[in-house]
Amino acid sequence: MRPFFSRVLSLVRRRTLDRELAEEMDVHLELATKELVARGLPPAEARRAALRRFGGQTQVAEAYRERGGFSFLESVWRDVRHGGRLLLKSPGFTATAIAILALGIGANAAIFSLVNAVVLRPLPYPEPSRLVRVWHTPPQEQFRGRPTFAVSPANYLDWRAQSTTFEHMAMYGFRGAVSTGRGEPEVFIGAAVTEEYFQVLGAPALVGRLLEPGDADPARAHVVVLHERLWRNRFGGDPAIVGQNIRLNGEPYTVVGVLAARLTLEPDFELWMPLAWTPQERAVRGNHNYLVIGRLRRDANLQQAQAELTTISQRLEQLYPADDKGWGALVRPLHDDMVQDVRPALLMLLGAVACVLLIACANLANLLLARALGRAREIAVRTAIGANRGRIVQQLLIESTMLSMAGGIVGVIAATWTIGAIVQSFGAMLPGAFDVVVDARVLMVTAFAALATGIVSGVAPAWRMTRGDAGDALKQGMGRAGTHTGERRVRNVLVSAEVALALMLLVGAGLLIRTLGQLRAVDVGIDPRNILALRLGAGRTTAGGPEAAARFFADVIRQIKTVPGVESAAAIDSVPLTGGSTQPIAIEGEPARPLSEQPELAVRRIAAGYLATVRMRVVAGRDFNEGDVIGRPLVAVVSASAARRFWPNDSPIGKHVTLGLMSNDPREVVGVVSDVKVRALNDDDTQAVYVPIGQIPGPFNTIVVRTRVEPRALLPSISRAIHDIDPDQPIRGPQTLDEVIGESINQQRFAMRLLTGFAALALLLAAIGIYGVLSYTVRQRVQEIGVRMALGAAATDVVRMVVSEGLRPTTVGLAIGVLGSMAFGRVLSTLVFGVTPRDAVTFGAVIVIVLVVGAVACLLPAYRATRVDPLQALRAE
Amino acid sequence: MPSDKTDVLHGTLDLMILKTLDAMGALHGYAIARRIEQVSSDQLAINQGTLYPALLKLQHHGWIAAKWGESETGRRVKFYAITRSGRKQLETEEAEWQRAAGIVARFFKLSKELP
Repeated sequence: MRPFFSRVLSLVRRRTLDRELAEEMDVHLELATKELVARGLPPAEARRAALRRFGGQTQVAEAYRERGGFSFLESVWRDVRHGGRLLLKSPGFTATAIAILALGIGANAAIFSLVNAVVLRPLPYPEPSRLVRVWHTPPQEQFRGRPTFAVSPANYLDWRAQSTTFEHMAMYGFRGAVSTGRGEPEVFIGAAVTEEYFQVLGAPALVGRLLEPGDADPARAHVVVLHERLWRNRFGGDPAIVGQNIRLNGEPYTVVGVLAARLTLEPDFELWMPLAWTPQERAVRGNHNYLVIGRLRRDANLQQAQAELTTISQRLEQLYPADDKGWGALVRPLHDDMVQDVRPALLMLLGAVACVLLIACANLANLLLARALGRAREIAVRTAIGANRGRIVQQLLIESTMLSMAGGIVGVIAATWTIGAIVQSFGAMLPGAFDVVVDARVLMVTAFAALATGIVSGVAPAWRMTRGDAGDALKQGMGRAGTHTGERRVRNVLVSAEVALALMLLVGAGLLIRTLGQLRAVDVGIDPRNILALRLGAGRTTAGGPEAAARFFADVIRQIKTVPGVESAAAIDSVPLTGGSTQPIAIEGEPARPLSEQPELAVRRIAAGYLATVRMRVVAGRDFNEGDVIGRPLVAVVSASAARRFWPNDSPIGKHVTLGLMSNDPREVVGVVSDVKVRALNDDDTQAVYVPIGQIPGPFNTIVVRTRVEPRALLPSISRAIHDIDPDQPIRGPQTLDEVIGESINQQRFAMRLLTGFAALALLLAAIGIYGVLSYTVRQRVQEIGVRMALGAAATDVVRMVVSEGLRPTTVGLAIGVLGSMAFGRVLSTLVFGVTPRDAVTFGAVIVIVLVVGAVACLLPAYRATRVDPLQALRAE
Repeated sequence: MPSDKTDVLHGTLDLMILKTLDAMGALHGYAIARRIEQVSSDQLAINQGTLYPALLKLQHHGWIAAKWGESETGRRVKFYAITRSGRKQLETEEAEWQRAAGIVARFFKLSKELP
């Protein structure tokens, strides 16, 4: 080892060593001369004799260096300097190459940062591999297509009590928290969590403490933990917040601590309060409203936990068949669970940017090839004076690697700038615990990608360049060595590959664009234009019981209707495509079945006038009206599809249904209404039962206001109208229904935008590739073109010749790309909707685009070809 | 790739340098060269191009150490001295050399007897 380090050291100290050696040798010569003088020689002759005897300084220095450092590293360093000089001498070429690589590598760095943060990096909690999410698996006959389901309190408590593989298991749910007493009322998105929640995560508090056992004790003061963001934005980031009281939902809460933003599991939550159940709530088994996370014991693994919970669930099924029949349990690693929705899109994007990088490689290879051919003579000369093939390959590879490294550096810088925008467009799809940054791993992978890019792009040119006969190149003179047909073939293959890859990306982007178009064209079943949606809690009226809450919502709606510009106003518990309750339903006349075996469908609470406001049609019977309130006969309205399902041969009007989770009293079906997409644009489910808010108000509803003018313009007057009824009412996140519908397809839109961007990038690079090859070919064939023109070829003939030459590899690439897209279409199947992966429209459009872009890329070189002056071209010969 | 002739010389030159320094103490490059030439009765000529690289290599191995001093002419020059590990190396090499030389000698003796 020691000689190795000394050598490295001497490499670094090169200059000093050289100087010292020169000094030493000088003394050597001096002493030798002196001795010879002493023997009687004249000084001048003595010195010459000494020189003859001991060798010239230069050779000694060379030998000394060979011995001293690594000749390999030395030569690398020399090549780097040589390469750097050459690259600086042709700044146009260098800038183009670096820009191409920066695009390719930068796109990869950005997307890889995302993949790294979301998929590769472990969650930011201690021993994250022990964290799991536990789901219910619902009975498939009632919940087709829904593999997982939220959990009921009683089942969770039994799981927790009976399992031995879990160190901690916690349950939590959404809990709106209206903050009052500090100026404008505000609503915070809160989480109600069982005391073990933070123990499961193992997260430390940023300030103060997090929740701990005993906090849920109703006898003790209410406590709350704040999100770092809320703490900084609303409470000035003051650590003295701990111990202070804030009013939430009308009750005093003591702040006990702050949780760091990067340790937040759910992206939306702003505060956490203990989940305190009443005995009745603890006993709820058939209503699945909560999420469960757990921390496995160190000695337990996923399979054991799964097996154990399956056993417990089977026992519960037998003990409580009415609620639990068919309900199983699923234990899934928490990380997998969090990212499974975004994973397909991320992996697709990673594939896309890899394609872009491959295209960039092919482009660089082509550029280098063109450049290397121009240097055929230089290389021939070097070969002739004794450089071996390895040395020349090394030099060419070092040049391409220098380019790719520079491209990589620029690319990483560009990536750090764009990551923020990319993350933002991902929005709520990225859970809070993912911190997308360029970290050491991203840098390492990017550096590796850059290195690989340099070598991959450099190999073909290096191989081509060193294959030929040096004498040949010297004889032919500069620039003529490249007209071999083999040469052109290599370049055409590269162009074809670029076109094929770009086409595949374009097809992917095209399919997603079509998907988005299809999704937008989906008829939700309502008319979302000019509708403003505002989420409103019953607020302080909750204390007055359902009657007061129902009256509150009715008052608010009535007040809003008086606002000028408002056409109509109503309310629904959750507007279409934003989730909502799914409940078991019992149909009159069918044999009685326990809740767990009853069919499940969407249940929505709506206010009178909702159907008219969103322009749903009443197909039969009547709409709800102001008279459908508590104390009056219980009524319901069903969707047409639900009517067809439950009363296929009969009118549902006058029949009775029972929604067991709400009350055991049957309600009369008074109307049938048109179908509305319940869950998502790409989900066909439209079966729903509607009940009047007047009878079951619920704690939160969404007020929908149809306006005659731009909806947002009315927001201030609508807010005033609400505050006329309840001054403590926070107005939060008003959206138009158009926006709500748009948001429901965010993932598709996001994937579409990025993929389209990358596909455009790929197409641009491919066009540059076609252009580059063709301009080079034209330059090579100036004489030929000149001869042709001298013999009478018209400009159009020349253009045709050049363009057809350029379109040939394009067409080959087109064919390969089409075949490739067909083969890889499956990859996109989870992301497309309404189109097949072999959509003819998409393929047709993409082929046309590629051909047009290809032709445009050919035109400039073709034009240049027509400008060839036959006389000059011939003279140059 | 380096030529074979110098390799043989390199091997023996290292040994000669170590032995010289072991016997004479610290010397500068010229003195080492002269000493070896004298011992070989001027049958060997030590070229600078072989001497200084060899000295550098020995330094890399840690067998000799260099220190700046003053030459007879009053110039700054490096004086080389054998180190402890150099002495150990010299012992091993010396034994090795003796053995090899013995084998070769026996071989020549044998081939002289055979015909």
